[in-house]
Amino acid sequence: MEVQKIINLEVIDLVISYGLVLFSIGLTSLSRIGQERHLFWSSLRMVFQLLAVGYLLQMVFSIRSPWPVIAILLIMSAFSLQVLGARIKNKMPNFYRIVGLSIFIGCGGVTVYFCSLVVGFSPWYNPHYLIPLAGMIIGNSMNGASLAAERLTSEITERREEIETAICLGATARQASQTAVRNAYKAALIPTINTMAAMGIVSLPGMMTGQILSGTEPIIAVRYQIAIMCAITGAVAITAYLIVLLGYKQYFTDAHQLKDQPTS
Amino acid sequence: MIPAIYLENICLSKAVENKLPAVILKDICLTANSSQITAVIGPSGGGKSSLIRLINRMSEPTSGSIYLDGTDIFSINPIDLRRQVAMVLQKPFMFEGSVKSNLLLPFSYSNSKFNSDKQYSIERTMELTRLSPALLERNARSLSLGEQQRVNIARALITNPRAMLLDEPTSALDRPTADGLAATVKEICQNSMLAVILVTHDLRLAERVADYIYFLDSGVIKENGLTTDLLKQSRCPELIRFLEEPDLLGR
Repeated sequence: MEVQKIINLEVIDLVISYGLVLFSIGLTSLSRIGQERHLFWSSLRMVFQLLAVGYLLQMVFSIRSPWPVIAILLIMSAFSLQVLGARIKNKMPNFYRIVGLSIFIGCGGVTVYFCSLVVGFSPWYNPHYLIPLAGMIIGNSMNGASLAAERLTSEITERREEIETAICLGATARQASQTAVRNAYKAALIPTINTMAAMGIVSLPGMMTGQILSGTEPIIAVRYQIAIMCAITGAVAITAYLIVLLGYKQYFTDAHQLKDQPTS
Repeated sequence: MIPAIYLENICLSKAVENKLPAVILKDICLTANSSQITAVIGPSGGGKSSLIRLINRMSEPTSGSIYLDGTDIFSINPIDLRRQVAMVLQKPFMFEGSVKSNLLLPFSYSNSKFNSDKQYSIERTMELTRLSPALLERNARSLSLGEQQRVNIARALITNPRAMLLDEPTSALDRPTADGLAATVKEICQNSMLAVILVTHDLRLAERVADYIYFLDSGVIKENGLTTDLLKQSRCPELIRFLEEPDLLGR
């Protein structure tokens, strides 16, 4: 099959496409939902952020050194942690330490495994591969991490009576919080399970679409998509597991007491 | 004679943001003997529940010592301690499943397998708490509140504990059901050689079942004595005021 050369988008093309945003702003203004300013500023942020990332990546790609790549990955992780922290209102004790460590081990471990054993590029820090692959793994794991942390807090708060009853009956902290931990873990995995089930039928995934647009043969793009979905699933599963495993312990003392007991 | 439970100079204070720590309990000394019910009475917010929670290490005192049969409870593994000092919370919480599965929970927590000893334990506690064996296979959450509280007590007794702590066990029950449960608790205490500590603001319950009463107000034991003496010859103004509160004796 003849591989098509990618069509370059000029500035004028971007201006034409931005017309759709302006049309949307007009539509929201007519609907009087008061979102015009948000829409406008968000679209501007999107344009400038993406352009900045584009130029930054181009610069990193031209420097043949692992350090800028590592720095970008660390900044990406730090931002994802900051976004998570802002999104979750009721945070577990030591939230940033636990979620940060879980993302580092879960996403970092899966990225190393995936890049070295599955894709196998060289050199190991090749930014063309490492940055987008790690970015997808971290970005997609954030949702699972957020769900795990948020649900664990609400489960333990709502199940306080059940947990205290179990502790009174001689349960360890782990046994007493088992249902809360399981529910939080399940909630974290459900979106990934649903995304996998719907993939290819309900939606065409972004990475695959991007590769096809850039001229990659569909079957190769599909192989990449399958592989990256497996990596994302692994990263979500490990990150969420670590969050619930390390997280529940924050609610208990060493003597298996649920913290912050109300007084009579 | 070594008391089953002995609390020596127990103090408890809790940190309050940007303020001095709040004193919950101050220099509490309390003794509870086997086959006796020791009641801790007093107005709400006086520190009764906070006190009882220290005895099975659901929380820790700021200072002082607690002994179980002469052994410092802080030298006992907290999980083992909670099997020896059972606690029944105010609201009965039934786990999903049958009454039998609820009764077997303490065994599952200790990872011990079901055998004839456990079958005997179930039968014994059902009998002690006057629960019909026909209820065993019923969904625990479908029982009445009174039945649930009996299952709650039976579940706490299944590991054959040395002492039992009851935190307002009848507060959610109507008067006849509460009276029936009180009579059962009295029987259990005497038949099982248990040391029972009962926390309540229900004077009628304390009067019916307790052998000895401690009056706890604002975190301090203001008066203590044999039930009959304390309720009839009290000289402590706070206790007299508490005794005079309407409805406390169900009158």
